Amino acid sequence: MPRADSRLVRTGLPVVVAIVGILAGYLLSIGLSGYFVFLAVSAVTAAIAILGLGIVTGSAGMIALCQLTFAAVGAWVVSLLNVLEAPGGFVLWLLAGGAAAGGVGILVGLPALRLRGVNLAVVTLGFAAAADVTLVQIQFPGSKDGVPVMRPETFSSDRSYFFFSIIVLAVCGLVVYFLQRGRWGSSWKAVAFSERGTASVGQSVQAAKLTAFAVSAALGGISGGIIAGQVQLPFASSFTPIQSLALYVLAVMSGAYLIDMAIFGGFLWVLVPELLKRWGIPQDWGFVIFGALGVQALTSGTNLGQGIRNMWWRRDDARAAAAARARASSPAPASASTAATTSAAAPASRSAASGHALSVEHLTVEFGALKALDNVSLDVPAGSIMGLIGPNGAGKSTFVDAISGFLPNAGGTVRLDGVSLGRMSPTRRARLGLRRTFQQDRVPPSLTIDAYVRFVARRRVSSAEVAEVLEHFGCPPARTRLAGVDVGTRRLVEVAANVLARPAVLLLDEPAAGLSRAEHLALGERLGTVPGRFGTTIVLIEHDLDLVRTVCSTLTVLDFGKVLASGPQDEVLADRAVIKAYMGETEML
Amino acid sequence: MKRHLIGTAVLTAAALMLSGCAGDATGEGSPIVVGSVNTKSGPATFPEASLAAAAVFDAYNKAGGLDGRTIDYRSLDDKGDPASASAAARELVGSDEAVAMVGSASLIECEINAPYYEQEQILSIPGVGVDTGCFDTPNISPANVGPFNDMTLTLYHGSEVLGLDDICVLLEIAGSTRPTYQAAIDRWTEITGKKPLYIDDTVPYGASDYTPYIVKAKDAGCGALAVNPVEPDAIGQVKAAAAQGWDDVTWLYLTSVYSENFAAAVDDAGAGIYVPAEFYPFTDAESDINSEWRDLMNASDIPLTSFSQGGFLAAKYFIEVLEGIDGDITRESVTKALHDMKPIENPMVGTPYVFGTADTHADNTAGWPIKLTSGTNAWESDGEDWIVLPE
Amino acid sequence: MLQGALAGLAAGGLYAVLAVCLTLMSRLVRVVNFSQAATGMFGGFVAVWLVEEAGLPIWLGSMLGVLLAGVLAAVIGWIAATWLSEADTTTRSAMTVGPLLMLISLSFILFGNKPQPFSPIIAGPAFEVGGVVISQVTVATVSLAIVVAVAMRLVLTRTAVGTMLRALSERPTTAELLGIPSKPLSIAVWFVTGVISAIAIVIVAPSQSNDATSLSMLIVPAAAAALLGGFRRLDLAVVGGLLLGLLSGLVAQIDEVSLIRNFLPFLFIVVLLLWTQRKEVWDAAR
Repeated sequence: MPRADSRLVRTGLPVVVAIVGILAGYLLSIGLSGYFVFLAVSAVTAAIAILGLGIVTGSAGMIALCQLTFAAVGAWVVSLLNVLEAPGGFVLWLLAGGAAAGGVGILVGLPALRLRGVNLAVVTLGFAAAADVTLVQIQFPGSKDGVPVMRPETFSSDRSYFFFSIIVLAVCGLVVYFLQRGRWGSSWKAVAFSERGTASVGQSVQAAKLTAFAVSAALGGISGGIIAGQVQLPFASSFTPIQSLALYVLAVMSGAYLIDMAIFGGFLWVLVPELLKRWGIPQDWGFVIFGALGVQALTSGTNLGQGIRNMWWRRDDARAAAAARARASSPAPASASTAATTSAAAPASRSAASGHALSVEHLTVEFGALKALDNVSLDVPAGSIMGLIGPNGAGKSTFVDAISGFLPNAGGTVRLDGVSLGRMSPTRRARLGLRRTFQQDRVPPSLTIDAYVRFVARRRVSSAEVAEVLEHFGCPPARTRLAGVDVGTRRLVEVAANVLARPAVLLLDEPAAGLSRAEHLALGERLGTVPGRFGTTIVLIEHDLDLVRTVCSTLTVLDFGKVLASGPQDEVLADRAVIKAYMGETEML
Repeated sequence: MKRHLIGTAVLTAAALMLSGCAGDATGEGSPIVVGSVNTKSGPATFPEASLAAAAVFDAYNKAGGLDGRTIDYRSLDDKGDPASASAAARELVGSDEAVAMVGSASLIECEINAPYYEQEQILSIPGVGVDTGCFDTPNISPANVGPFNDMTLTLYHGSEVLGLDDICVLLEIAGSTRPTYQAAIDRWTEITGKKPLYIDDTVPYGASDYTPYIVKAKDAGCGALAVNPVEPDAIGQVKAAAAQGWDDVTWLYLTSVYSENFAAAVDDAGAGIYVPAEFYPFTDAESDINSEWRDLMNASDIPLTSFSQGGFLAAKYFIEVLEGIDGDITRESVTKALHDMKPIENPMVGTPYVFGTADTHADNTAGWPIKLTSGTNAWESDGEDWIVLPE
Repeated sequence: MLQGALAGLAAGGLYAVLAVCLTLMSRLVRVVNFSQAATGMFGGFVAVWLVEEAGLPIWLGSMLGVLLAGVLAAVIGWIAATWLSEADTTTRSAMTVGPLLMLISLSFILFGNKPQPFSPIIAGPAFEVGGVVISQVTVATVSLAIVVAVAMRLVLTRTAVGTMLRALSERPTTAELLGIPSKPLSIAVWFVTGVISAIAIVIVAPSQSNDATSLSMLIVPAAAAALLGGFRRLDLAVVGGLLLGLLSGLVAQIDEVSLIRNFLPFLFIVVLLLWTQRKEVWDAAR
């Protein structure tokens, strides 16, 4: 029952907040003086633009220094449709402006598929500078003849236009809210943290980046469209690169991926100049202040919104953890024991299953002169757990990278359930049912466990399913934020989430690293039940021989990129070559 | 819980609103509110016009004002940004209830606010009109000549007085000015029967290096260049030509470059830089035509520029009209008085000023020829009288 | 046509100098400094103020201005080294957007937005080849770019400081363990590049538009040029700068494509990046 409540709250609350916001906007639109109404429209346009920046820079972690250029595109399209007297009126023009800006956003974002970080910042700044000069030259349609942009008929006065802009802001805020909490939002946050991690769960990195750019630019375009309706004769001077830089800094400073902070940022955008005016200080100080605050925010790595939320969450998480501990104290032993019984039964039943879930032939990977993998061939029987062991540098992680598609130049063939994977991208492989986890932490900390698990699962899962799998792997409850849990637990969540995806084959790269000895064994027992319950074949890379012995029915030993031995567990462990090359070292563990 | 900050924001907005709404009572004996919208911050600014107007009004108030009623002059910054320009006009006209706008100087304000002024039935006398809206709308009539008539003047002066051939026109186009400049060039053709050798309207605003455009003009065989740049660009152009060793080019510029700063920055002026100054040259310290303006500016510590001349004149015109009003000073009475005013003569300009009821206001068609030659770093007068465009 | 292309070379030389500085910064202190041109601009403006208002001789004023630019850059470097020493390149670079905004606005406040009356240190045509005029500024900026690139290469490969710098950029932890003073060294890099960019800007500013915005935004073509060398190779950064200058000069001669001229640095960046990074499918670290 509490879960159903929270879902209702999750969808209902933002709508209620939006409605309250619109009502407040209406009251302000009749209560404020004419001047402040006009100023408030500027705040709203800035808020929408910052909302967009929040997606591309805040969530997706890409630096975009051309937000107002997207706004200019929106304003330009609105002016053009106005001059052409296109049917549909302002609202439709506004949408068209947003769509056009979104299209331009995708074009500008295309380089982002290959470019990262600061290179992208350079590209977007270059674009902003070029577009600015061009805009000064070509001007907005209608400005030659002074054709003013027609506002929507029912919102033609300044007051009602402000109310209109508030409605647009509320709608944009709602759309962003649900996007952020949906698949797209998760993919943006995932891609910001790790591109490999994103691809490995079947999410196209390209799609994540381009949707971020498109949505962000579309919001910019809508903001520009509203400016066009506000001033009625838009000028290039509203959209200069310097202002884009200031807006970027403001977005970073306020923490614009949070909707309320984006609105607060828009408010600051007009408040600072207004205060300067009132105190008789030259307006140029405004950008000095923004610049200083931006440096402060970037050097401290925090922002206003996140700071406030962190305080709130810490209290929240502490309470949740206390509750979880109280609950865990009684039922935990019971579930552990059931896990133990099923796992004991599992290995035997699985060896009877027919066919190979994964078969690898002549897999070869060369890094220059070094052969990291040399003609590796092995088969993993469906429904089994295979252990992949070997000393450090034997090529285990390279093997996982190659199988999961991160080394496109690998030679040999890999078949998943008999289907050759050829040169498929990691994303395609993941979607076909080949999943992997990473040795390094690739779990985006900006998500909640629930959002992350659903993102990784790539299928519709009920809250009950999520809760069950989390409990099975001993993870914290779903509403916990990943930022608040330790790395070992994050890796557990990663395993749990990938299991819930029900892949055909799951490659686990040292999942137990960072866990205590007792947790190792618990994990082993839990993994043992996975093939039976989820129909997933597991390849487990592990140093801990005890764990491998208890869980794996078959073993493969790698040494210097070559298969030393492969087969049923007891045969392999008895192999002389294996003992000679490997056992001496593992005794030490 | 998530958006408690919105609450804070709304509260602050409300507080601001209250502070903005307070006061502004009008009535007998209360100050007459006069406003202006100016570009004071950002990459291109015109602060002097409203400063000069403010100085004029200050002096007027000190001298007793209009039968004891003082003028409350408010000048706001529009940052060259349309939204700020609109907001400023709404604050002055809507909230502060200004009776007129006087001495404004902005890159964009006229075009942006012209419809609003019409709607509010308020008139504006900019000190420096820049964009087309200052010259082709009914409610705005600037005190200066403006870049378009100035372009015709500089071409006319170049071809008819200096006897130059092969004049090329380089245009920096911003906003909707291209057709208006074309009309200005056509007017010159109409008067003199001459045509520019070529027109290059691709010259960018605020470029860092103008060498390629200068080289293009040189290759095309231009003997003189008529250009409409803002001051920084003009410096770039003259220097680019000097760096190319093009020392026989004559520059026909507009009043926008007429400053001591520009003269100080230019050492090599080719065959000379000629400008039809919109007002009587301020660099001529001997003449007493400018003495009232000069004394006031010096006393108020305002830079001596043509912009401050424009602001000064706008305020002077306004006071003269104001004093002719019988009865209450309201927006209606001021508007009516400006509509019915008789032309005002002033030796600082070559054509008398009149607002009137015309639909456009570009009647100021005289400039005083000045020149800047290589090595002097100072502007000097280049004639004895105004150049006036023939009708 | 040729004349037009060569006319762009003066700007190209300036792009090249700035690109070399950007490349050095990127290699040695892991940052793309967006305020690279802005600190130079600010130093230049201060130099003009010292000469015009304080009455200092030109050489002294210029020197003080250039030094101030170096100090400003060093302050930004100190911020980066103190609070962002562990941060990635992107965050460090994003931080420099703040100083860029501040310096432009501050120069509006302090010096106004009028172009500054820079007294030319060098001016006029240098020589003429077949009717093609090469200005002295062109000669100066192009040679400055080459000299700086060569000198920096020599410093990096032949001197003890260079070895330490390279160690610092390539193996920061090992360098720390060896006792190489990382913070002072990286601040010194900021200082030196700040000084070099300021010198270039002081040389060029008298001969072109020199308001705060257009000087500061020189960072865009400079970054485009530096990208030719992938922010790693000094020689390609120089070539990139000169090439970009030549190209923009050429395009300006053709009215039909004048709009493209604005987009030239942008297109240059995109095409180059897509080409140089075509094999980098996966981010090395993430």
